[in-house]
Amino acid sequence: MGIFLKSYIKELKLITHDVGIILFLAFLPLAYPIIYSLIYNPEQVRDVRMVVVDHDRSALSRELVRNLDATQEIRIIGYAADLGEGKHAMNSHKCYGILEIPEGFEKKVGRGESSPAVIFAEMSLLLRYRGFLVASTNVAQAMGSEILAEDINTRAPLAGTLAVTDPLGVENVTMGNLESGFDSFIMPGVLILILQQCLVLAIGMAGGAKREKPWLYSDITGRTSGGVFKSMLGSGLAFLTVILLPCVYMLHYVPMMFTFPMAGDPFEIMLFILPMVIASISLGFCFQGVCSERESVFVLWVVTSVAFLFLSGLTWPRYAMAGFWKTLSDLVPATFGVEGFIRMNTNGASLSQVRPDYIALWIQAGGYTLLAFLIQRFIVAPARLRKLA
Amino acid sequence: MSGFQQIFKRSVLELVRRPIYWGAMFVLPLFLMLMLTNMMEQGLPSKVPAAIVDKDGTALSREITQNLGSLQMVDLVDQSNSFTEARHKMQEGEIFGFFMIPENFEKDLLSGKGPTITFYTNMTYFVPASLLFKSFKTTALMSKAGIMLNVAQTAGLSAEEVVPMMQPVNIVSRGLGNPGLNYAIYLCNSFVPCVFQLMIMLMVCFSLGQEIKYGGSPRLLAMANGNIWKAVTAKLLPQTIGWWILIIFMQSWLYFWQGYPMNGSWWWMTVSELLFVVACQSLAVFFFGVLPNLRLSLSACSLLGILSFSLAAFSFPVESMYGSIAIFSWLMPIRYNFLIYIDQALNGIDVWYSRWWYVAYIVYILLPLTVMYRIKKAFARPQYVP
Repeated sequence: MGIFLKSYIKELKLITHDVGIILFLAFLPLAYPIIYSLIYNPEQVRDVRMVVVDHDRSALSRELVRNLDATQEIRIIGYAADLGEGKHAMNSHKCYGILEIPEGFEKKVGRGESSPAVIFAEMSLLLRYRGFLVASTNVAQAMGSEILAEDINTRAPLAGTLAVTDPLGVENVTMGNLESGFDSFIMPGVLILILQQCLVLAIGMAGGAKREKPWLYSDITGRTSGGVFKSMLGSGLAFLTVILLPCVYMLHYVPMMFTFPMAGDPFEIMLFILPMVIASISLGFCFQGVCSERESVFVLWVVTSVAFLFLSGLTWPRYAMAGFWKTLSDLVPATFGVEGFIRMNTNGASLSQVRPDYIALWIQAGGYTLLAFLIQRFIVAPARLRKLA
Repeated sequence: MSGFQQIFKRSVLELVRRPIYWGAMFVLPLFLMLMLTNMMEQGLPSKVPAAIVDKDGTALSREITQNLGSLQMVDLVDQSNSFTEARHKMQEGEIFGFFMIPENFEKDLLSGKGPTITFYTNMTYFVPASLLFKSFKTTALMSKAGIMLNVAQTAGLSAEEVVPMMQPVNIVSRGLGNPGLNYAIYLCNSFVPCVFQLMIMLMVCFSLGQEIKYGGSPRLLAMANGNIWKAVTAKLLPQTIGWWILIIFMQSWLYFWQGYPMNGSWWWMTVSELLFVVACQSLAVFFFGVLPNLRLSLSACSLLGILSFSLAAFSFPVESMYGSIAIFSWLMPIRYNFLIYIDQALNGIDVWYSRWWYVAYIVYILLPLTVMYRIKKAFARPQYVP
């Protein structure tokens, strides 16, 4: 039996008999996406609590409050006598916004003077602020056009045409993530990150296990360059075999379960993700260079997920990254994986449309395999042989 | 030298000698801190790549294009000819949205047919799409206002009369503490301490587990005269001191050098950070006591440590989560660190309002009381399970 086949079988045995590795390759991809998706599954931020300070106490101010309360985004929990009382409610974490309506609000609106109501928003979470902004804009516009329609004729009959026939319509269409849900925004990217991370973690741990007890794997420890290379390819293929089902599950069934947008062609998506999986496996073999024991992976790799999340451009877009960070993100398989997968899965791009990402992933796959070979040949294999001797 | 001092010294040497501790304690947390703060230094990712589809091609539509192009938030990278072309550009990731001026726009407008401007935003990327949405909407409404002004003036109204008429009801939103919607302030203040939580906890389980794995724990126990409290405290104290120094550095980095809002008292924030370190360590000791196994305790810390980034509700609020999940957000120390940051640094309110968050730290610190006997048992007869 050739070294390649022998390594493949041995690695499969090793994976299936090691609880730690099974945890990374089965539990992690199966359970993690579900836990994660469930956290954000409500998608929208609804009914953020708000307190009202109404200095006007008029029909119009009450109507404004009623309309804001009726929006999906805001829930009015009560009135405060003055701003101080409102602040106290906010400081006691009872509400996240205060609406202050100035005295003379109704009168000034009637006279066509400007008299803005103010929302003081607590800024710890931007999603709450965004809700306030959306709701207040909508309410102000709806009430405004109503008032316009009512009283424009009394002032300038000719200008009535303005309110009756809108001279210019303005329309917004949301694409991809149609309902602007938070889960549908963040999860497709996170799924790709989980895929990359569970491969690197599992391979790192397998590497640590071999470094700790090289005698158990002596027959597949290559002693020549060719041997090291074939043995690495064999083990790599074993990981590819094992990750196949979890990969289909994560990229197809998880989005289906949580009804994320799925506009792409599933086969093209799998084809797209193949080089990313290969690159991640090779990255894992590179990582083995610093894994002197099984548990090193937790301490050295888990936290990188945070770095990769930001490098992927999911929260802070890549076009706005400084040169250094952009270059660094070019080195991460998940960066292009996330970009391409989101475009295909959420925006319905075809494989040919994500060509630059696809090419980048194949270059990474090639580059990391080469680097992995060098690390295996000159760091990992000698370390194992030293321990054997 | 007393037993405590001996263990302390042994632990310090271990920290200094093993590269993995350097990586976990200095390199990774400091790198992530630098990365997050530096990456988002601009505050907002301005110059969002966008396109305009001008099917009209008149003086008016070109003026709108120009207005759009002059906005700081927008970078008009492209002039597409059709909706399909622009949509393809969006799918290819070149643009995050586009603004469409229909055919016969100027003509329809002048003849009162009421044409419609439509703008498309790709919500698969929340931040750039939201910024683009705002810029597009502003441009569209400004154009509309300009047109209405013209019509109204021909009808005999003055500009002063028309402007408030355009928007009779006006609601202004004021963000307290972070009026510029600075993303670095919003994200770094929660994510950086959360990185610390993860690494602090992993280091505890890793170093305690190593004693069991390599069989050093009986000797450790002997050095402490069989007192497990002494053994564990002396073993972890060097880490505590290290993390204290690092977290004070982090605090100075965020609120002094980066100039993030610190509207309250430095003193209470410092107390919070110092207690936070011990609370994280105590929680990790608790996990280790429940699962005195190197891999399992590390797995538990990793799982919860990474989930904390979402569960602690830095971006999606707790009250919007399902109740059964929201409960978990209150189980991690970082939640209280985050709440204290909001109260004390961002909003600068009286510490009275934050009193319960400080109490939570104390509860974490008391947790190991319940499991020390288990750690003692595991230390006395070390059994490594891979």
